Amino acid sequence: MKNAAKNAAEPVVSGQLRLSARQICKSFGAAQVLFDVPIDLYAGEVHALLGENGAGKSTLVKILSGYHAPDSGEIVLDGSPVSFDSSEDGEARGIILIHQELNLADQLTVEENIFLGREMTRGWFLDKAAMRDEAARLLAGLQCDIDPCTRIRDLPVSDRQMVEIAKALSKQADILILDEPTAVLTGREVDILFDQIRRLRERGVAILYISHKLDEIKAIADRVTVLRDGSHITTQAVAGLEKDDMARLMVGRDIAQMFPDQIADPSAPVVLSVRNLSVPGQVYDAGFDLRRGEVLGFAGIVGAGRTALMEAIIGLRPRSSGAILRDGQPVVIDNLRDAGRCGIAYLTKDRKGSGLLLNMEMRPNLTLLALDRFGRFLLNRKAEDAALEKAIAAFDIRAADRTTKVGDFSGGNQQKLLLAKVMECNPDIVIIDEPTRGIDIGTKSQIYHFIGDLTAQGKSVILLSSEMTEMLGLSDRIIVMAAGRITGILDGEDRTEHQIMRHATGISDNQGVSVHG
Amino acid sequence: MTIKSKFLPGILGAACAVALGFAATAAQAQEKIKIGVSIPAATHGWAGGLNWHAGEAEKRLEAAYPNLDIIIVTANGATEQANDLEDLVSVQNIDALVVLPFESDPLTVPVQQVKQAGKFVTVVDRGLSLPGIEDVYVAGNNPELGRVSGEYIKGRLDGKGKIVILRGIPTVIDEERVEGFLAEIEGTDIEVLDMKHANWNRDDGFEVMQDFLSRFPQIDAVWAQDDDIALGVIEAVNQADRADEMFIVGGAGMKDIIKRVMDGDALVPIDVLYPPSMIATAMDITALKFVSNGAVEGRYILGATVVTQENASNFYFPDSPF
Amino acid sequence: MGNSGRSAGRTAAGRFIDFKAMGPFMALVALFVLGALINDAFLSSGNLSNIFTRSAFIGIIAVGATFVITAGGIDLSVGSMAAFISGAMIVVMNTLIATLGAGVETVLLGIAVSVVLGVAAGAINGLVTTRGKIEAFIVTLGTMGIYRSLVTYMADGGTLSLDFAIRDTYRPLYYGDILGIPVPVVVFFAVAVGGYVLLNMTPFGRKCFAIGSNEQVARYSAIHVDRIKTLTYVIQGLCVSIATIIYVPRLGSASSSTGVLWELEAIAAVIIGGTMLKGGYGRIWGTVIGAIMLTTIGNILNLTDVISNYLNGAVQGLIIIVAVLLQRGDWRRKKN
Repeated sequence: MKNAAKNAAEPVVSGQLRLSARQICKSFGAAQVLFDVPIDLYAGEVHALLGENGAGKSTLVKILSGYHAPDSGEIVLDGSPVSFDSSEDGEARGIILIHQELNLADQLTVEENIFLGREMTRGWFLDKAAMRDEAARLLAGLQCDIDPCTRIRDLPVSDRQMVEIAKALSKQADILILDEPTAVLTGREVDILFDQIRRLRERGVAILYISHKLDEIKAIADRVTVLRDGSHITTQAVAGLEKDDMARLMVGRDIAQMFPDQIADPSAPVVLSVRNLSVPGQVYDAGFDLRRGEVLGFAGIVGAGRTALMEAIIGLRPRSSGAILRDGQPVVIDNLRDAGRCGIAYLTKDRKGSGLLLNMEMRPNLTLLALDRFGRFLLNRKAEDAALEKAIAAFDIRAADRTTKVGDFSGGNQQKLLLAKVMECNPDIVIIDEPTRGIDIGTKSQIYHFIGDLTAQGKSVILLSSEMTEMLGLSDRIIVMAAGRITGILDGEDRTEHQIMRHATGISDNQGVSVHG
Repeated sequence: MTIKSKFLPGILGAACAVALGFAATAAQAQEKIKIGVSIPAATHGWAGGLNWHAGEAEKRLEAAYPNLDIIIVTANGATEQANDLEDLVSVQNIDALVVLPFESDPLTVPVQQVKQAGKFVTVVDRGLSLPGIEDVYVAGNNPELGRVSGEYIKGRLDGKGKIVILRGIPTVIDEERVEGFLAEIEGTDIEVLDMKHANWNRDDGFEVMQDFLSRFPQIDAVWAQDDDIALGVIEAVNQADRADEMFIVGGAGMKDIIKRVMDGDALVPIDVLYPPSMIATAMDITALKFVSNGAVEGRYILGATVVTQENASNFYFPDSPF
Repeated sequence: MGNSGRSAGRTAAGRFIDFKAMGPFMALVALFVLGALINDAFLSSGNLSNIFTRSAFIGIIAVGATFVITAGGIDLSVGSMAAFISGAMIVVMNTLIATLGAGVETVLLGIAVSVVLGVAAGAINGLVTTRGKIEAFIVTLGTMGIYRSLVTYMADGGTLSLDFAIRDTYRPLYYGDILGIPVPVVVFFAVAVGGYVLLNMTPFGRKCFAIGSNEQVARYSAIHVDRIKTLTYVIQGLCVSIATIIYVPRLGSASSSTGVLWELEAIAAVIIGGTMLKGGYGRIWGTVIGAIMLTTIGNILNLTDVISNYLNGAVQGLIIIVAVLLQRGDWRRKKN
């Protein structure tokens, strides 16, 4: 494999070698995370960096861009060895890393963010007009219709990504490192981003593109470097690789079965019914039935009102009308506690912002939702530890040790812990919002099988996802929402990407379908 | 007025009302002599006494002289007091000002402006930074307070012994008192073991004295300089059960201490006056300017009277908060 | 989380000595060594007893503040609240002497008044903060002014003094001892143990940590955020009331200068002890040590005349900063 890698290390495009790293090693404490990793980056290529969570991708790019210093190894920029003191140092030489978690100041405007720290001035004063024009020009170049005066907090995540890229471009980046840029983007936005990446490639920018979405790598990358457990596996031209090959190289084994077998019984009793539920300005007159043991998918583009609907059901969001029936009986759910009493649990899509306490270790995170089960007055540490033991085994959570803060976990392990946390209160109905955002393919498959196990135990799952394969692979039925309304319920053969898109974009004309699918 | 406004447009009526109102105020002001009194708010014991005595003097003077109108305003800081002074002149149109400045420097110019507006100015306790502004100056005598206290301790100890000193908040007042005290005991065999700031505060007095008691096996006398500090010192000495060994000299004239002196408490044999009632003195003098034909301009420095068991009842005001 | 990359580089050796937990304790030991060197009297049982007894007021209040700060709040009103409650207790007891006499009943009723006022004042701070959705800083800055004015008003700007008739009955609560340990120290210890159990061993404490580290996560974890936050202020109020109950018999008086700046001392004790000012992490024992440290600094300064009196504040400030530096321990590993 290594020999093959060396042969294929030749560039696919005929650019100049810009940045190359040799024998990079890096340890954090006792744990070594990179072992003698090499990488080359040529002008005018898109070089994908592929690997599971924890493979060392982020560490490698942080070393390349100056956030970390390598323990050993060499970085060569344009033929001469360099060592960066800081990320500012890296940026000064044209190497810019765009983080997975965007680094934008929420309260500042787009224009202020783009020029943060290097504001244009006229005399002693800020030259607002010039900055606004330049920001508008940059954003227009990205075919992105954002007003430079908007505050970041008022923008959807996808637009924030574009602002980050505009900011990088304004710094004259000619080596651009994108760390999972599409994790939060919708399909259309991904297309725009790719167009932009291609344009940058034509301009001779060297692009290192981190992702574990194999489709994307197929679509955009010229070459791919695969890392596994901190070691370099291969560097190859993408053209000769199939998706299965890439998955195998990344995981190190065949992923036999991505999704669990679907076993829902269409005649199973209805466990949850929602009738005429409305949330002012977000959800209109929504209703559906959930059966025992089924996975009910909710599809739709960003802003279709799916999350608002779910949060209204579990009492996190005020609703203006609507009834909820549990096993046929009307129930009142005004807050998460009520929802818990009805056996309904919710897994947020924002695992860092509202799912986990990142500055704490696993134990308090695991038991937080079901805290009352662990003691009325005094907490039973032993019971908590036992629960943690069980959860680590059941959900295959891989943490170096139990005092590690959850914030230092990989996304996959965080997601598994979040799943374990929600399951601690032993719900019958689990609402899962984006279960695999930013997670590698191996862990994804694991999570899909956890979901399969739930339904096999007779629990019901409501799945919200913007990943089409996952939606189609997991759901027994799919409800499609558009602009706050349910526009379609897809069953059996109708569950296709085409049908979903038709309803999601409002092409279908059967608005306000009947509630009973 | 009501008849008029029936005939005239409303706006004109309103204007008339305002004009007449002004005329009425002006007429009243011509009849009555207005004395403005500007003092710090009651944020600590001594200032509390100050406020109480000012209030009592207002009642007494207004009852005695019906043509006097006394206006008391209190401030929480120098800036606020400067604003008060402006208001007294421009809004209340006072004839005379009695002021106890929060701080000397920042209030010198505001008081000067009152003087330049042609008002009679009496300054109390804290002198201004420029000479010749005030017509009357009434003050306690800080160096004398220190000297008198030193004199008593010197006499009681026969010029020989070990004492500790609890100082106030580091200010000019504190400096003057301590200098007066030290000058008086100079040349004697009285040893000052240590001096610490107790900030004219009971809790600080208690804690500083506790530490002095741990530190020094023999203390013959304590100069607490202030009655609030003295109260804390008394508790600390009682707690350590060392009341027989020493006596305490405070200062100011707080009723609790005066009461102890009156009752013959061996721990607190005397008190030295620095009375908050000096504000009443200042108000009396200022009032005399308008109700008698005697000359009042000048400087009035109150003696640092020693309160003993014999004369204590003259200085005991059980109704005063201080 | 912005610096997670850098701080991930903490070494195994750094964990060997847990600076975060030991920092304040080591600073206190260092202070005690310093004290012993400066004056022999420092280690005398009388002086040590004074230090611990004095620490009790700020310490008990700081235990309450640990809850508030851990849950992401702040309470600036505690000093004024203590003055106000002291004043109210004195007024009530002085009035009751006429009807009930100077017995234990009067003192018990005074104590009851103190507890009721403390809990009510805390509840007001908590409810206005949570229901009114106003920053705790502003709410408690407001109540700080209100309580301070109320005590000034009750005392006519002067001093409220406890009737001498009742002092002897009440006195042992400050000056007495249980098995040779001064009562305030016993109370302080009991409050600290209670606080420790509540903060570290109960669901309530866990919820305080959760709310302080991320309110949103707490909300999504079925925690009644407003209720828990309000309760932390109530606990703070209760602690102020307990501190007041043992404070009043000391000097038997309250004035507008009672408890000035106690809020800052309490917050300083909490932070020196290792609790995070931004919330999410609290340590009761750290707070206890922090409170003792603050008192010890003052005590040492009183026991020496080496340092000019005018520089006392500077010495205190310096030691506080050094103690926190030690405790954060980040200076040891600047770069990988």
